[in-house]
Amino acid sequence: MSSSSPASRASSANRVPPAIRARGLTKDYGDLVALEPLDLDIPEGQLMVLVGHNGSGKTTFLRMTAGLLDPSAGSVEVAGEPAGSLDARAALSYLPDNPVLYDDLSVAEHIEYTCRLHGAMDWEGRAVGLLDDLGLTSRADDLPSRFSRGLRQKTAILLALIRPFEILLVDEPFVGLDPGGREAFVELLDDVAAAGATVVIATHQLEYVTKADRCVALRDGALVYDGPPGQVDVLSLVG
Amino acid sequence: MPDAAVALAEPPEEVEAARAVLSDLRRARRRQRTRDFDPFEALYRVYITAILSGIVIWLASGITGDTKVPAATAAHVAAHDAQWVGLVVAVAWAVGLRSGGQGGPLAIEAADVRHVLLAPVERSVALRPVAIRQLRFAALVGSGVGAVAGLLAFRRLPGGFPAWVVAGAAVGLLVMPSSLSLAMLVSGRRLGRYVGGGLALVVLAWAVVDLVTHVTTSPTTFLGQLALWPLRTRLTALIGVAVSLAAVAAGLTLVPGSSLEAAERRATLVGQIRFAATLRDLRTVMVLRRQLSQELPRRRPWFRLPRAGRWPAWRRGWHGILRFPALRLARLAVLGAGAGAACVGIWRGTAPLVIVAGLCMYVAGLDAGEALAQEIDHPDRRETYDLANGELEVRLLAPSVAVMAAVAAVGVVTAYLVSGATPLAAELGGVMFIPCALTGLAGATISVVQGAPANFSSATSALLPPEANGFRAIFRMVWPPAVAIIGFLPLFAARHLQPGQGTRVGRVAGLQPLILILVVLVAVWVRYRDDIHAWFAKTMEEAKAAQRPAGPQR
Repeated sequence: MSSSSPASRASSANRVPPAIRARGLTKDYGDLVALEPLDLDIPEGQLMVLVGHNGSGKTTFLRMTAGLLDPSAGSVEVAGEPAGSLDARAALSYLPDNPVLYDDLSVAEHIEYTCRLHGAMDWEGRAVGLLDDLGLTSRADDLPSRFSRGLRQKTAILLALIRPFEILLVDEPFVGLDPGGREAFVELLDDVAAAGATVVIATHQLEYVTKADRCVALRDGALVYDGPPGQVDVLSLVG
Repeated sequence: MPDAAVALAEPPEEVEAARAVLSDLRRARRRQRTRDFDPFEALYRVYITAILSGIVIWLASGITGDTKVPAATAAHVAAHDAQWVGLVVAVAWAVGLRSGGQGGPLAIEAADVRHVLLAPVERSVALRPVAIRQLRFAALVGSGVGAVAGLLAFRRLPGGFPAWVVAGAAVGLLVMPSSLSLAMLVSGRRLGRYVGGGLALVVLAWAVVDLVTHVTTSPTTFLGQLALWPLRTRLTALIGVAVSLAAVAAGLTLVPGSSLEAAERRATLVGQIRFAATLRDLRTVMVLRRQLSQELPRRRPWFRLPRAGRWPAWRRGWHGILRFPALRLARLAVLGAGAGAACVGIWRGTAPLVIVAGLCMYVAGLDAGEALAQEIDHPDRRETYDLANGELEVRLLAPSVAVMAAVAAVGVVTAYLVSGATPLAAELGGVMFIPCALTGLAGATISVVQGAPANFSSATSALLPPEANGFRAIFRMVWPPAVAIIGFLPLFAARHLQPGQGTRVGRVAGLQPLILILVVLVAVWVRYRDDIHAWFAKTMEEAKAAQRPAGPQR
């Protein structure tokens, strides 16, 4: 994969079908609307940040795209396939805001089974690199159930990145990470984006917004901004 | 960053390969778990389960009695009781259909949802083994319960011991897995809670129609015929068997279509419910179970209270009650009716039904005392009020008394109807309904207020020997429902009244002051328990200080 600037990636991305396509995507819980009908195309290779205050619908959008939530109406496609389908699951890696790990598997065992479940090839070498990048090398044989929140988050990051994917969805990734961990993760995200993956990050971390090709803001479940991050006061969007 | 990261995943090419990966995953997890396996703890669990099973069988034996029924009664049972068994089967199926509408019955671990179900692995490969495991367990439990039921039937009805046990086990073996499979069918087709609930009502109604009209049209009634094979062998029972097996096949076929959203919600909640149940934390179990069945308070109350008003605790209680969902109100009514019907059974000689009556009011009390429970759930907020905890809690109970009175009134009406509209049922009900409502609420209040058991390092526990701690734990568990049961005991005094000892209603009324004293004692305990605990802790501390040897003089 060759590295490219956000601008060139964005322009080339416009010529290919979208990695994620939402049409009238809606989620409600009775009379509580979590996401109003949303039309959104995210081209391949784009680095997009999703901003909005608490309860704006960011996580709802990501979880529906990952196939974890059923839309109330509308549809969302991932790599041209319905979200949650076999091919969509193969293409998409989802890093949630709360790491969920097996209590009775070590980090190394998590890695092994994640890679095997996803049909990853030659993963051992990459695992060594990622363990090193995230400072988990010495903890590879430990059970994550005994980890702090930050270490569990790092393990979840590792598992999201070790498997093959074309699209990466990340929900509030910096929660619980120490400054070193944050820095390492930002570098890893830069690498993923540079390698051509489509990356969607829901975050309150404003310093990361400027790195993105595109900023989408939600408020109370509705789209309130969609454009380059430099043209808007992001602080006003995240409330 | 490794450059191979951005590439489309190539999922395991064959189903067998994916199955092997999952099988390895489960084997590795089992290996980790067995490292911490404690055989003594396992034996202890077996021991406790055996004791509890023995108690249940003993109680059930008390309900059924052990004298053989006359031939005419046996003939009546053979002719008509398949409908009653069918109704029980219908209840089991209705529970399954309703659970399926809420996303059940699979209880998948949260980590499995995230790692396995989001991986490019066929859902059939990931979910069917889990479904089969649950079906296997249900079959085991069902056949055990069915065999016990057969054993109890054998004691009263003609027929051989093996025939009754085998017939009971066979029905249990079919009913539990088919109920689970119906849940899988509904959740796999994502029919939703309304369709699931609607189907449950249809199944129940069909069984009730069979019962009332003495016909056999429902599959559940056909299955009921199988239970009575030792009395009368009817081949139409095989229709019920076929429908049950078809339900199992359909459930297993459709279960891969289950929603991940429901699976994830259940994954989190089921784990928490199991943990809370292990701690015997009834309130937490109840709150989580409500979340599991999505039994949420109404966004708009049934009606709004006038804005102005004094007595904030009274109003707060009513605000909560007026947001009770319809499902909870229906449950309260059913519990009241259950208590009333049980009272008729007690009057007719089935004494152990007093436990059923008491438990109905106790569970109703847990629902009715929601306002108090909410305050107990949020101790930090409670501490900010300019009011003693106990005083606030007693005030919050007042609206719950009104709810419980309504529940008990449903019980009186039910008892009156079930007893054949006898004036005595109405008179006894009129005397007993308020005290029974109060003892039900009192028992539930003790449960809620005492919360989860404290650990054994607490001040009180540390002073007791281990054996006493065991008894204390059992007492904590048994005492609250026992209070609810005590409210129904005057019924026995009236039933066993000898000629010349006055009227039955008068006898019951004469015992009510004792019941009310118990209720008042509970209220006083709720009001002053913090003060009592503080006094006790202080006394213990002083006693310890007095026993401590004096240190070296400087």
